[in-house]
Amino acid sequence: MVKSTSKDAQDLFRSLRSAYSATPTNLKIIDLYVVFAVFTALIQVAYMALVGSFPFNSFLSGVLSCIGTAVLAVCLRIQVNKENKEFKDLAPERAFADFVLCNLVLHLVIINFLG
Amino acid sequence: MMNLSRSVALISLFLLPLLSFSFSVDNPTDRRVLVLLDDLSLKSSHSIFFNTLKSRGFDLDFKLAEDSKLALQRYGQYLYDGLIIFAPSTERLGGSLDSKSIADFVDSGRDLILSADTSASDLIRGIATECGVDFDEDSSAMVIDHTSFSVSDVDGDHTLIAADDLVKSDVILGKTKIEAPVLFRGVAHSLNPTNNLVLKVLSASPSAYSANPSSKLSSPPQLTGSAISLVSVMQARNNARVVISGSLQLFSDRLIRSGVQKAGSPNQYEKSGNEQFVTELSKWVFHERGHLKAGSLVHHRVGETDEPAIYRIKDDLEFSVEIYEWSGKSWEPYVANDVQVQFYMMSPYVLKTLSTDKKGLFYTSFKVPDVYGVFQFKVEYEKLGYSTLSLSKQIPVRPYRHNEYERFIPTAYPYYGACFTTMAGFFVFSFVYLYHKYLPIPISLSIPASCNESSCLDSLTLLPTDQIFLRSSSTISVSVDSEQGNLIEAITL
Repeated sequence: MVKSTSKDAQDLFRSLRSAYSATPTNLKIIDLYVVFAVFTALIQVAYMALVGSFPFNSFLSGVLSCIGTAVLAVCLRIQVNKENKEFKDLAPERAFADFVLCNLVLHLVIINFLG
Repeated sequence: MMNLSRSVALISLFLLPLLSFSFSVDNPTDRRVLVLLDDLSLKSSHSIFFNTLKSRGFDLDFKLAEDSKLALQRYGQYLYDGLIIFAPSTERLGGSLDSKSIADFVDSGRDLILSADTSASDLIRGIATECGVDFDEDSSAMVIDHTSFSVSDVDGDHTLIAADDLVKSDVILGKTKIEAPVLFRGVAHSLNPTNNLVLKVLSASPSAYSANPSSKLSSPPQLTGSAISLVSVMQARNNARVVISGSLQLFSDRLIRSGVQKAGSPNQYEKSGNEQFVTELSKWVFHERGHLKAGSLVHHRVGETDEPAIYRIKDDLEFSVEIYEWSGKSWEPYVANDVQVQFYMMSPYVLKTLSTDKKGLFYTSFKVPDVYGVFQFKVEYEKLGYSTLSLSKQIPVRPYRHNEYERFIPTAYPYYGACFTTMAGFFVFSFVYLYHKYLPIPISLSIPASCNESSCLDSLTLLPTDQIFLRSSSTISVSVDSEQGNLIEAITL
């Protein structure tokens, strides 16, 4: 076996970065949105660990709104990705409309559960 | 509502004289007792005991146990409230009486004093067995005690026991301590271990045993020591009370009047403890002491007076119940610090000891648990010697209504913020996603000079610079400067 070095790791990251830079811009926007949602969820979990789980329904709705958002965004990303042959018959406009509708339902539930 | 309860009370007042209750909470005086004797001379030889009963207002009806006209009930109504059987040798009761009808009498909540003696008949043993007491099977056996006999026992067979091992219960034996030993001459019995309603009132000393005093002891006696009970009581689940004594002489004038000195003890008493013992015991058995009644179980929210039809979880409520004890003449406030209330649904969710104002009112307050469903207030009071109280009142408990929850909790502000941030994020994302421009990614291509715009694009060789990978599926829009044969710009989509 060839011994791996830090140079290999750097090369790996560099190749990943250059590969990712070829990703279409719309998918990059979705990725950024997912990162934002997951980050918000993590902040809330840390806050809950700090102050306790008292308004548990509020905590749940806060975290689930982020998780739900992230999941829906990932679904959108799968559907509008040109490389994904499974959804090649699905128009990107249709995928985005589905995404908007699901988000409306999600946030309706979240607001009701927020307490 | 008030009118209805008043008319019910009025009707029951009219009905009361017509019905013969056992121990009626509404009408506890005027009690008739049937006394069954196997010899009418017992009436005079046990006159002190009978006279104490009469002086307390009991109407005693003396009958021979074999009287053919004996009847406990007529037209389905009981004629008596209590029964004293001082007929140890009777093999068959007269009239319609048998051990089953006596068991029925107790089952109807009425009281019984049963006294056996040496050579007790099978009938008496059978009645005692029904009450959870087993007399020594040897019919000639007596309780013998070579250490705690009475010195006045002239026969020398040590069968006149000076017993002082009394149950420690003020309610059964009265507040005044019985100082002098109780004289006892009779048969031993043991308690049925499966019956938990029966208990020893007068126990034999550890040195006692049960055997025939006139014959030599050839085999070890079956009943020995503290397992022997001399006098036992039983309070049934319907609060009927039964006294079972192994000695008829215990109640006799002779033993009541006689002095007593326990063997080996310097204390000499002018009078034996028998009179106090049988009087106090008869007061207990005929419900002149230790009979509790509970009434007006009241509960309401703190700060209100009306009883609600339903509670909400986490409501603060106040609960009170009144408990009185019958003193033989009137209902006196019951004072105790161990009455408890349960807030019960399948199991007690709240168990609180009630405080008392010493005027009969027991009260407490507590918070309804965070569980909704159909609950009960339960007071289950079982105390040695006292009649059993069992009250319950059903009350439903509902969850919060939708508008009763706490709003805008400061702790939860970050969660609220996160929700609205996510919504704003969704809005911004949608906007950006819909209106962003496709940014060109420059790539350089080398195009053969022979190429013109339409013919050679298919055969273009993409030469990616070191930073750019093109996937085979990328759509490329190309603008070509055909004059120079060089590609200027391409973007991927």
